[in-house]
Amino acid sequence: MRLTGKTVLVTGAARGLGRATALACAAEGASLALLDVCDDLAGVPYPLGTKGQLEHTATLCRKAGAAVLSAACDVRDLASVESAVALAEDRFGRIDAVVNNAGIAAPSGKPVHDIAEDEWALMIDVDLTGAWRVMRTVARAMSARRSGSIVNVSSTAGLVGYRHFAGYVAAKHGLIGLTKAAALDYAPTKVRVNAVCPGSVRDDATAEGRMLAEIARALDVQVGEHEQTFTEAQPMNALIEPEDVAAAVVYLVSDDSRQVTGSVLTVDGGFTAR
Amino acid sequence: MVGEHVVGEHMVGGHMAGGHMAGEQCHAVRVRLSGPVAVEELTARLAAVGPWRLWVEETAVGSGEPVARRLGAAELNRPTQSVRCVLLRHRDDVADLVVVAHRAVLDREGLDRLTDVLVSGAAGPLPVPSAAPVTPPSAAPAPDWGGGRRGDTSWGTRALDLPDSPAATGLLAALALTLHRYAGHGASGEVRVATDRRGALRIEVPADAPASSLRPAQPTPTDSTVPTGSPVRPDNPVPTGSPVRPDNPVPTGSPVRPDNPVPTGSPVRPDSPVLAGLVEPAAGDRTFRVGAPAEYLPCLAPPFPLTLALLPQPAGGTRLWAAYRHSHFSAGTVETFLRHLAHVLGQFTDATPDTLVDDIELLDAAERERVALLGRPTATPPGAPERITDALAKVTAATPDAPAVGDGTSVLTYRELDERAEQVARGLVARGITPGDRVGICLERTTELVVTMLAVLKAGAAYVPTDPAYPADRLAHTARDAGLELVVTRLAEYPADAGTPVTPDDLTAAAGQAGALPTGGSPDDPAYVIYTSGSTGRPKGVVVPHRNVVALIDATREDYGLGPDDVWSLFHSGAFDFSVWETWGCLLTGGRLVVVPYLVSREPGEFRDLLVRERVTVLSQTPSAFSQLLETDHAPLVVRLVVFGGEPLDARMLLRWFDRHPEDECRMVNMFGITETTVHVTAQTLTRELALAGSKSVGPALPGWHLYVTDARGRLVPPGVTGEIRVGGAGVALGYLGQPDLTAARFSPDPYAEGRQYHSGDLGRLRPDGTLEHLGRIDSQVKIRGFRIELDEIRSVLLEDPEVHAAAMVVRRDDPADPATARLDAYVVPADLDTAGVRKRAASVLPAYMLPATVTALDALPLTTNGKLDAQRLPDPVRAAPAAPAPEGTDDAALVLREIWSDILGTPVGIDDDFFELGGNSLLAVRISAALRGRGMPAVPLRDLFRTPTIRALTEAGRHA
Repeated sequence: MRLTGKTVLVTGAARGLGRATALACAAEGASLALLDVCDDLAGVPYPLGTKGQLEHTATLCRKAGAAVLSAACDVRDLASVESAVALAEDRFGRIDAVVNNAGIAAPSGKPVHDIAEDEWALMIDVDLTGAWRVMRTVARAMSARRSGSIVNVSSTAGLVGYRHFAGYVAAKHGLIGLTKAAALDYAPTKVRVNAVCPGSVRDDATAEGRMLAEIARALDVQVGEHEQTFTEAQPMNALIEPEDVAAAVVYLVSDDSRQVTGSVLTVDGGFTAR
Repeated sequence: MVGEHVVGEHMVGGHMAGGHMAGEQCHAVRVRLSGPVAVEELTARLAAVGPWRLWVEETAVGSGEPVARRLGAAELNRPTQSVRCVLLRHRDDVADLVVVAHRAVLDREGLDRLTDVLVSGAAGPLPVPSAAPVTPPSAAPAPDWGGGRRGDTSWGTRALDLPDSPAATGLLAALALTLHRYAGHGASGEVRVATDRRGALRIEVPADAPASSLRPAQPTPTDSTVPTGSPVRPDNPVPTGSPVRPDNPVPTGSPVRPDNPVPTGSPVRPDSPVLAGLVEPAAGDRTFRVGAPAEYLPCLAPPFPLTLALLPQPAGGTRLWAAYRHSHFSAGTVETFLRHLAHVLGQFTDATPDTLVDDIELLDAAERERVALLGRPTATPPGAPERITDALAKVTAATPDAPAVGDGTSVLTYRELDERAEQVARGLVARGITPGDRVGICLERTTELVVTMLAVLKAGAAYVPTDPAYPADRLAHTARDAGLELVVTRLAEYPADAGTPVTPDDLTAAAGQAGALPTGGSPDDPAYVIYTSGSTGRPKGVVVPHRNVVALIDATREDYGLGPDDVWSLFHSGAFDFSVWETWGCLLTGGRLVVVPYLVSREPGEFRDLLVRERVTVLSQTPSAFSQLLETDHAPLVVRLVVFGGEPLDARMLLRWFDRHPEDECRMVNMFGITETTVHVTAQTLTRELALAGSKSVGPALPGWHLYVTDARGRLVPPGVTGEIRVGGAGVALGYLGQPDLTAARFSPDPYAEGRQYHSGDLGRLRPDGTLEHLGRIDSQVKIRGFRIELDEIRSVLLEDPEVHAAAMVVRRDDPADPATARLDAYVVPADLDTAGVRKRAASVLPAYMLPATVTALDALPLTTNGKLDAQRLPDPVRAAPAAPAPEGTDDAALVLREIWSDILGTPVGIDDDFFELGGNSLLAVRISAALRGRGMPAVPLRDLFRTPTIRALTEAGRHA
């Protein structure tokens, strides 16, 4: 068990990659602070994670032997982030690792000139600035302890462009930039910051993921058609499973990667290797 | 007091995050509650005594499930800045209440009270900690004996149950004494220990003081008062780097610390690194009062690399508990340490005013037996005692026509060897030799040498080998000391007063005059006497009986597969006991012995050719000699076994060999040995893995040999601890010839087996796996290029010169990493001495390898305040002055030679300077040859260098024109 004694905080933990990551950390012996917005956001055209989904993630982690604290947290609100982190520190004493997983895929599906200012701002606020808020809240204590790992869940959209996804692509590119800059800020105090870039991840039924479906909807194509397109676009001719991404996150959280910082780990079946 | 001890592991270790161990000032308790738990009531009880919340965790499993145990361990080991209460509710109506507290907020009594409040509903305020914990001192480096894994940041616990309850104050003294004993040979007279309340403490450990006098050297503050100048900071207990959550640090409304515990100043600097310490030593009499089974964890991470606590047990007795860092200690070491600590603690408890510190034993009888057994291999010991001649007769009878020994000019079969030796033996008998006599042998390395050694044994006598290259003085000393009447030699200039010289031919000729050879000798009769450097100023004769040699071969025969297909080289002088191994190892296992002529042995290229030509399979070498062989093209060798002996081996040098000769083709064995224990004691088979690791192990004892490592009083020390190596068993010599007092001092009865043990004067430590690490000589004896040299012996020779008033010897290396550059530097007083004359006179007495490379005259020798020689303050030696610069027109070869010689000898060289006077030796000569080859010039064979040791002579001889 690679994470015994560690406490990992995961945002967007109600479902999808967040749930898969939390479970993988629990299986490695970690204690977990699970955060999710647990509410729909104005401007996001699809339902976000719910309190019930977050509690289900928590139950699954407990069954795997983890101590779990779950709380609602909106990464757009610094006070909300600070209060959730404070609660987690109170419960667990310290936070050893953070997985910035919370993110939205839409509003998307239009060219740059059609994006409204508030749509742009919302995308950047959640997908980029949200990660920065969590980071600034936990990094001081991590630096003081001279120990910690921050994993930002970016995307292949952080490495290449996607048509009609300018806001998402810009935010995920920005997240990689933030990762590299923060890695240099905290390298002297041994706090590591890395990014994971998943390709197209299958919407797993038990993980309740819906990213792929929402992207398809934003592009106004059938889910099956979209899956087919991306399966073929990824050289290994398969969609990515949530567990594949979770395994990469566990590696970056664990001490196995103790000399890895500022790195960008793609889990995309070779998509960006072309 | 110490009865039966049970070692048990009762908690998984945790990881220490980065450089900060948040849990080191926290302690925790877990109480198991049965039946339904009223969460609201618990919450209310908690709220009544402090501003803490109760965290409830539903585990979704039964209390006996692994998941439940894992969750419980996780909570118990989770640090806090103040107080955390967690209720783990299991599905089977069982709950675990875990309370974790920072010691600055709740001490042992406070934690006890809080638990009592929660479980039984007791009321009343929580007590204020009587003193805050101090920032732990920095960790001392991992000790050699610890067995820790470098870089491992995790830690674990071990415990030992004691039948009664010793006073906690005694634990500090017992810990200090145990640590002092573990520090081993050369430990200073004081140790540092620590407590969580007082930080580092210094305790003096005088051997002859009463045991009751062991106390911290600084004034002892009581636990309730904070002395001025002590590192305790009552207003500032929480270490920096762990910000206390300002809204929740301390119970408001309680009498606990009204002030803000956030650190305001710089942290206290630890006054000195500490290896071990105690947590809450004064709270040892406290048990939890709650009526439920409670588990108390004194710290959540060890504040000291080895952290100890005494925990009274509800059922009576006391648990000696230890948390230890894996970077410093192995679990096995801690278990052993706890047993020893408990034994020492019991003696402190029982000590009378007459009990001295030195009287306290670290090991009890069972432990001594265990450690003694560790020094013996599990393999069956050798067979029945036998004479060398009887063992050889069996080989001869089995394979009479197999080749036994050859030197390039002649080869003798076993039958021929036997017949020749018989003839010489008859000659010896005819010359009056009878059983029990000693016969000198001073012969070059030829088949004749082997025949003569066997002949002496057949005559029932013991042989006393000397080297024809020894100075006349040393030959004479040996002959006189051994009482030699007869010396078999071909030396024309054999000293007149050193026994009657006789040639092998004379003896063969006289054979007809003798009757039958003696029969019926004992395996305990002396077989040989070999002279070794001695601290008394003159070499001393070590008497080794037949049975030891046969036991040595029996101990190795099977493991190394020694047999008739093997071809052994006889490389070493008969006067060096490594040749005993080569000679009898070969002949008693039916192999063919190839005698290596002296000059070939000094010339690696020629030696290589011989090994290839003769298809030698078993090669014995000193590491220095082997490193020369490595310079040659050794790929064609068919050697299947290399045995190292004579000096310490740096295993890393073998990598180049392993590149060409993988381990499964050629076994490499490093043997540690002493003349007094019959050549070898231990054997370590080397692998590429060990070579890469630079292993210092010389392996476990040979079957039949016993290894002990003892303190100055001869008591066994624990595994891993440095002490004197003592050797018992089948190899122990009979003693020193004609020196009963010295023999009695160095050979004593073996307390753990039959026979005697030899006190080697070597330092070493026995590892927990029974292998030995050899750490050099206790006294000034050193080894240079395989030769054992007593510096005091050289010094006493220098002092025999009436002009010399005082003398000192030091060994230096021009290149500290390169043993080949080791050099003997002599210092003599007074300053106006003719140093060349001093050296010349010494050369008439000392063999070349003991002759100082430099002699420097001083007004006085620098001394330490204790009046001992201060070798550090000796000036750099004055080297033999180089001759005037070479005249113009000297040929190019001489210029190149001067450049290379100067470079390799590390001093300017004139064309008339003597290579050996400038500190040259055979190793450096090999390097010069290599450098010459590198420049496309022919190498200088060593024999030429012996004849013409100056550049002018070499070039004039036309070898480099």
